[in-house]
Amino acid sequence: MIPRELKESLAQHIASIDHPRELVVDVMFAVQDHYGYLSDEAVEEVAELLDMSPLEVEQLATFYTFIYREPVGKYVIHVCDSVICWMEGHESLLDHLSGKLGINLGETTPDGMFSLLPVCCIGYCDRAPAILINKKVYGPLTIEKLDDILEKLRAEGLTPSI
Amino acid sequence: MPKIIIDDREIEVPEGTKVIEAAEQLGIMIPRFCYHPALGSVGACRVCAVKFLEGPFKGVQMSCMIDAKDGMIVSTNDEEAVEFRRNIIEWLMLNHPHDCPVCDEGGHCLLQDMTVSGGHGMRRYLGLKRTYRDQYLGPLVQHEMNRCIHCYRCSRFYQEFAGYFDLGVMQSANRTYFGRFKDGILESPFTGNLSDICPTGVYTDRPSRFFGRRWDYQRSPSLCINCSLGCHTTVSARYRQVVRQEARYSEAVNGYFICDRGRHGFHYARTETRPWQALIEGREVPTEGAVRAARERLAEIVSSGGPRSVACLGSGRSSLETQAMLGQLCQKKGWQGPSYFMDKSLTGKAKTAVSRLDPELAVSLRELEGSDAIVVVGADPINEAPMLALAMRQAQRRGGKIAVIDPRPIFLPFDFNHLPVRLDEINLYLSALVKAAVDPELIVDAGKDAIEFYQEAPSLEIVAASLQEKASILAQELRAGQRVVIVCGTQIVRETTPALAADHAKFLRAAKKQAGLFYLLPQANSFGAALLASSEVSFLEIIQGVEKGEIKGLIVAENDPFYSFHDRQRLELAIEKLDLLVVLDCIESTAVKKANVFLPTSTLYEAGGIFINQEGRVQAAPRAYLGGISIAQIGGGDHPPRVYGSDIPGGELRAAYQFLSQIGNGDQIEDDDPTRRSLLRWIADNIPPLAEIPPFDELSENGMRISSSNDTSPQFAVNWQEEKEKGKGSEGPLEIILTDWTFGTEELSSFSPPLMKLERKPYASMHTDDAARLGLGHGDKAKIKLDEGNLEVDVCIEENMASGVVILPRHRLLEWQKIKSLPKFVRFEEIEKVSG
Repeated sequence: MIPRELKESLAQHIASIDHPRELVVDVMFAVQDHYGYLSDEAVEEVAELLDMSPLEVEQLATFYTFIYREPVGKYVIHVCDSVICWMEGHESLLDHLSGKLGINLGETTPDGMFSLLPVCCIGYCDRAPAILINKKVYGPLTIEKLDDILEKLRAEGLTPSI
Repeated sequence: MPKIIIDDREIEVPEGTKVIEAAEQLGIMIPRFCYHPALGSVGACRVCAVKFLEGPFKGVQMSCMIDAKDGMIVSTNDEEAVEFRRNIIEWLMLNHPHDCPVCDEGGHCLLQDMTVSGGHGMRRYLGLKRTYRDQYLGPLVQHEMNRCIHCYRCSRFYQEFAGYFDLGVMQSANRTYFGRFKDGILESPFTGNLSDICPTGVYTDRPSRFFGRRWDYQRSPSLCINCSLGCHTTVSARYRQVVRQEARYSEAVNGYFICDRGRHGFHYARTETRPWQALIEGREVPTEGAVRAARERLAEIVSSGGPRSVACLGSGRSSLETQAMLGQLCQKKGWQGPSYFMDKSLTGKAKTAVSRLDPELAVSLRELEGSDAIVVVGADPINEAPMLALAMRQAQRRGGKIAVIDPRPIFLPFDFNHLPVRLDEINLYLSALVKAAVDPELIVDAGKDAIEFYQEAPSLEIVAASLQEKASILAQELRAGQRVVIVCGTQIVRETTPALAADHAKFLRAAKKQAGLFYLLPQANSFGAALLASSEVSFLEIIQGVEKGEIKGLIVAENDPFYSFHDRQRLELAIEKLDLLVVLDCIESTAVKKANVFLPTSTLYEAGGIFINQEGRVQAAPRAYLGGISIAQIGGGDHPPRVYGSDIPGGELRAAYQFLSQIGNGDQIEDDDPTRRSLLRWIADNIPPLAEIPPFDELSENGMRISSSNDTSPQFAVNWQEEKEKGKGSEGPLEIILTDWTFGTEELSSFSPPLMKLERKPYASMHTDDAARLGLGHGDKAKIKLDEGNLEVDVCIEENMASGVVILPRHRLLEWQKIKSLPKFVRFEEIEKVSG
């Protein structure tokens, strides 16, 4: 269940809009931020808030790359999967990531730290090959830079947040 | 109109015609998957590519996306286009499982046809195929996603065309998935159409799985008789049983689709409990003996009590032939009847609907799709005649505005405005809306009657305060509408409503609108019944006659009053009192069990027949197969089934009209044609609207719309004073309204095992205020005190319905026949909550 305050603020936002359906992606993000991913239950809650059928929400939820219908790791790595990054070494980057983390695209490390996902062109062709980690862009990347970033994030991730 | 040349042949087509359609008119079927005439073009599948040689477009283009224009020269067999299509097909086939030998679509699969005709025969792709998990979609449709080629027809039909949102398209790219959010029964009552429009075997007809290939079936055109719309179907039979029913295209009636009740409503013809053997006092006897017994015992009754001591009851589910044979017998023999309706009020309403259906006003279901404003009075489309709701949705999608004046909690798969009012208020509300929608200046030359009618009609002031805003918006929408259709039900409404609907349609026409009128009738052939019914005798009068001892013999042809009459106790006593009850039917029923003489009749599929739909369209269905007990039933799993004898088991069935003719006229029928021919002659001579009816096999594909309107029926004759008086005050008792549900109330389809799985448990609907006064909560069980005992039923509390009424479904699992009389009112004290 979405907490009452969140639900109320979303309902308020929805009520203030002429075409509430236009908010569906924003609502999905808000609910995803709460749960960490968009669970089945969350899809139904979003549908109820927007007076849509769960299927209608699911049609959008499963279409968009940044809506996660399964639990993801603490850091979600989106590897850009488009032409310029392909030209600039996307493949070796991906191989390295997979090998280092021990997971394939679409998977999460057993410790729940990293998820690896592809993403269509993110518009950082000038910084190719590029990746997104929790919405932050990194690039142009080399294997070494990538290792540094992963190390830093792992250390950060292991520090208990207060 | 643009002229276009396709494959060296010229054709002139209306502006806006797509090239794929123009080619079709020339007899050139360009391959297609996503394009469907009812759904339009989206250009998704790329398989309809052709080459444009001259004109505004050049090169390979999608023929479904381009309008035919002057000067276009198109080649469908240009090498480049052919190769393009071949590649597309190969690509669409990459992931296809090639499971044709075990696929139920195999043999009538568009994908098979297109693959072969597209020239893709050898598989080159040797990689892994994409696979999916299938879902459970309910008892009617089987899901097999691996076969999908992503044409989007299903989700476009389901959501855009039909207006339901629990099936659609999820994911993206190569993972694109068509299905539901979760496994579960599809919510739409039009789901069977998924099997029809899917170009491959993703959705197939579930109840008929594992029974045969399409080419194994005896396929023939037929009609749906599960409501009064008369949709066209194709029946498939095999091994002496109907296996499957599909939608058959009809320009005038149902278009490409049918509803699930119609599609799966045929099981009555093949249930194991169907009575196959003639009975005398419950004992199985040879058919001829039963006919003789009926004839002799009727003669005895007539000789002692005179011809008026025999009465005839028919029904709206019989063919015109059977209905007319009853009419002929009553005329010739002086028997009472024929009656086809349970009470005079219903007879009156049906007769009014028939006599007021001016040809100028009558609209077909397809014409209704083109209207820009629809007012529904006393009809519940999705429950009474689902395809009407689908047609109304098309009108709404094109910008049409829809108003519904009805006490029930109406659901429709589109946006509409509902004025939930009591039955006594319907007339007033209709009048007020129409009056407000008409420009007074336009009617000055409409004739004295129309002007007086306008002046006396109630205005929007009569509308309850809570509905004022809605009603004035509706009136404005109606005012803006040019093609306005009044849809009027005949089941729950007061006797005056059907005539008033016609008056208003006429009045709108006088006010320079292209007004139309569309009635719903209770059963498939209620129109024929209304033409033939005696206005003096309804079934209620027959019962009275029996009670008084005047009627001693009753012939019941294809009706089960124990299903349809509203006073069970009285009916039972009356049947006890009869000397002779002759029942002819094709379904198992209480009437069959109580009959002194029973004769098993053939169904529409085994005999064919003429039916007249609610808009007066005379349509004929030929025989689909010869009949007899199915091999599955005879064999009972035995293989091969052994029945010794050269006859078809159960093959002694005849059409009800043939038995009636034998009983009444003593005919020896060898062949059905002479009887049918002489019967049609009698119909032409005795029923003026049917004077021009052509022989059975000469009726055209779309039938023949007859003109049944009768100028002598009074028009614009409304007693507004009385109407206003009746419409006042709502503090009285609650009126019980008996209503139809999509599944579970219609007699024939209630025999269908797959549809039984879709039936809801019967419940009573009640307005929030009434329920609050009674202390009832949603889901509580209530005890309603009726004359013939208590009725216990779950309560469903609704906001969007009239207060002052209780809605009860005429459900096969509910003993609604305890209500005794119609209309029926109960006091608040007579309803109480059942605790526990």
